[in-house]
Amino acid sequence: MASGIKDRVAIIGMGCTVFGELWNKGPEDLIVEAFEEALADAGIARGHINAAWVGNALDDINIGNSALPLAHALRLKAIPVSRVENMCATGTEALRAATYAVAAGAVDFAVALGVEKLKDTGYGGLPLRTKGLANDLWMPYGSAPGTFAQLAGAYTARHGASSEDLKRAMAHVSWKSHQNGALNAKAHLRKAVDMETILNAPMIANPLGLFDCCGVSDGAACAIVTTPEIAKGLGIANPVTVKAIQLSASHGWEASYHEWDGSSIRNTQEAAKRAYAEAGISAHDLSMTEVHDCFSVTELVTMEDLGLSAEGSAIFDILDGRYDHDGAMPCQTDGGLKCFGHPVGASGLRMAYEVYSQLLGRAGDRQLANVDFGLTHNLGGQPANSVAAVSILGRLN
Amino acid sequence: MGQDTGKRGIASVGGYLPLLRLDRSAASKGLQFSGLGGRNAGYRTTAGWDEDALTMAAEASRHATSTVAPTRICFASTSSPFIERGHASMLLEALALPANARTIDVSGNRRCAVSALLDALLGQGDTLIASGEKRPVRAGSAFHTAWGDGGSAAVVTDDGGAALIGYASLARDYVDLYSSREHPTPYAYEERFVKETATRDVIAPTIKAALADAGVTSADIAHAAICEPLPGMWRDISKATGITAPNHASDLSAAAGDLGAAHPLFALALALDAAQPGDIILLAGFGSGCDTLIFKVIGAVAGAAKARAALTQGLIFADYLRFLSLTGTIDLDWGIRSEFEQKTQATVLERYGRDMIGFIGGRDTRGNVQFPKSRIPVRPDADGPEPMEDMRLADVPAKLVSVTADRLNFTPDPPFWFGLVQFENGARVMMEFTDADADGFKVGDSVAMRLRIKSHDKRRGFRTYFWKAAPALRPIMEA
Repeated sequence: MASGIKDRVAIIGMGCTVFGELWNKGPEDLIVEAFEEALADAGIARGHINAAWVGNALDDINIGNSALPLAHALRLKAIPVSRVENMCATGTEALRAATYAVAAGAVDFAVALGVEKLKDTGYGGLPLRTKGLANDLWMPYGSAPGTFAQLAGAYTARHGASSEDLKRAMAHVSWKSHQNGALNAKAHLRKAVDMETILNAPMIANPLGLFDCCGVSDGAACAIVTTPEIAKGLGIANPVTVKAIQLSASHGWEASYHEWDGSSIRNTQEAAKRAYAEAGISAHDLSMTEVHDCFSVTELVTMEDLGLSAEGSAIFDILDGRYDHDGAMPCQTDGGLKCFGHPVGASGLRMAYEVYSQLLGRAGDRQLANVDFGLTHNLGGQPANSVAAVSILGRLN
Repeated sequence: MGQDTGKRGIASVGGYLPLLRLDRSAASKGLQFSGLGGRNAGYRTTAGWDEDALTMAAEASRHATSTVAPTRICFASTSSPFIERGHASMLLEALALPANARTIDVSGNRRCAVSALLDALLGQGDTLIASGEKRPVRAGSAFHTAWGDGGSAAVVTDDGGAALIGYASLARDYVDLYSSREHPTPYAYEERFVKETATRDVIAPTIKAALADAGVTSADIAHAAICEPLPGMWRDISKATGITAPNHASDLSAAAGDLGAAHPLFALALALDAAQPGDIILLAGFGSGCDTLIFKVIGAVAGAAKARAALTQGLIFADYLRFLSLTGTIDLDWGIRSEFEQKTQATVLERYGRDMIGFIGGRDTRGNVQFPKSRIPVRPDADGPEPMEDMRLADVPAKLVSVTADRLNFTPDPPFWFGLVQFENGARVMMEFTDADADGFKVGDSVAMRLRIKSHDKRRGFRTYFWKAAPALRPIMEA
């Protein structure tokens, strides 16, 4: 019987670049910056790295396939380097791979690095890509906001909520993230925005307006992991440890079987349930969350899927300020995907970077008072066909 | 032939018109500065970006084949999208008819569907003649508003309710407009020449010969479906032939436009809808000559009422620029997002294409229906590969589970509607929507499936077809 990885892996160093439209930086710059910050934070020599995983979701538009871009950029000398890809869960997937390698005892020090260079496409938003040659014969080429906007109508239909209440709650989600992002020097969008502006923004995909959509950004984030024992040997008495990392992927149930009503994400529910069990905590033990707010409605639904709001009540919890920085369960203290930005392959590790920083008391103006456990959540794909990743970080003692 | 011979007849008909109807006065207004254009009364049916001759013929055929499964399929059009790809074969697959049916494409002139109909009536076997037109025309040409887009169909059987009692044909290399592969849009010739000689030398002689063949007089004709080479010619044709019956082909031109090869069978459907048992109907198709057929209504002909209803089920629009874009007259710069590579691999199409154009899903061993088929069913308790039985979804009622109007994604006619569709038989499909009316779509809406263009690879001139969800009911046009 598997016992999980709780406290079997310590994060001893993390790095994260500024996210944004980084016209003057290429993938190599981003990779090196994130890694060097993590390496300095860990306080180890680069030669100690035994293995590395790079997460990159849209290799075809910039970075190129395989792990070689990472090996070349960091000049990693003949060690195992691999690339992982799982849509928007890619960053967490890289962390999962590195963590499992350490937990398995295969290596002492492993690197997980997520990187994405999106802003060389010539337009806003994510590029339209093939869904596979056979799928292209029938699947709609919906945009990312289009696929997530589907949640809204299904949610109001299920819970009998009004479209106006939903719209206001979605606007509050974005308002809150802009408030937080304004405090974050590395965030892509650092400007507070008022509710009226958000509510009256141009429509992107009904009912998602411009401010309901996250930024499309360039950026990279990196983690260096080892065992708690080695961490202690390096002088880190109470390291940040991985309490859980869980993943759940669609197998066609949502989009092809007749049960799902389109108002929630079962993969988030499943991954969260297993993550809480692996960490030995419940949702109410969390101190903060960094969730996949690719669109405001996604964050709203995720609050229920993670068990933080009762079913059908997320609208009211959000409007009551429960997830604001000074609320009972702060969410997106760094601005989230919405304002920190969303370089797809880096986002999972960026979330871990914020939780790591909060656990170590390094979050500056954004620092929360008491942080015991932080949760990160990624949602790749679309509600009807997704990959959800949930991780929980805390301190060893 | 005479009235006592020719037992074969038309058993069913179908007529399809696109949702959008251009208010012709909008075109006149847009062209006012130039003095160009044409008639400004009535409406001009305008195909959606995802419609073409094949899809509209298929929709008309669905109406006509609801009670008869033909063993011969003929596709007729002068605007077929492909040069080397049999449209009748695609139509067969779209209708999920047996692959051993005989298929043929006919073209060459706008009379071709009538010629094929006559061949079917003189031949054997239950035969579908399906026609569709979406003819390219340049802005400013009078044809741009006079012509329309649409589809029509007829099924011929041994005991069809509209029996052929006489006919006549005349072949003549008569050039009233120039259109070729080199120059596909029509180049009009002197109207006075056409008005005078087409009636005198082509149409009237053929009609008179058919009347004689049937042993009836012009006064015996209760309803006519006589295609005019140009708008307004019916008066002269009537005068030359003595036929005073209502001409449904003229009415169709005013309400929808000249539908080219699809016009005669659509007009015939309207005539059949108006006819009483015992009535005699005259159908005449023009183009490189003339075919005239005379029918006697001896029984029921399915589908005629639906064709008439299609005349007034639509959405009027007056956006001339949108019309120009939809008809391909102007090529808007849609930006980088429209550059998405949509190349279709023939090998993939060979493996999956029939299930796509036929909308064929699968039913697993426990009865659950899904799309597309898979080796291991999507059913949660499936525990390994299972055989699947083909299940066609095209005619299964469905409702929307989720929906959005996507304004980011590229589509030639924004917004891009799509969402999750739940079929009554348990299948569900994430798919594109089409034919949005003024109210758009919302969760719970009832939808019907329409065959449409899925991808259009302009670089290689290729297109694929799939089904899209459309409102189950169309709006009724206000008079």
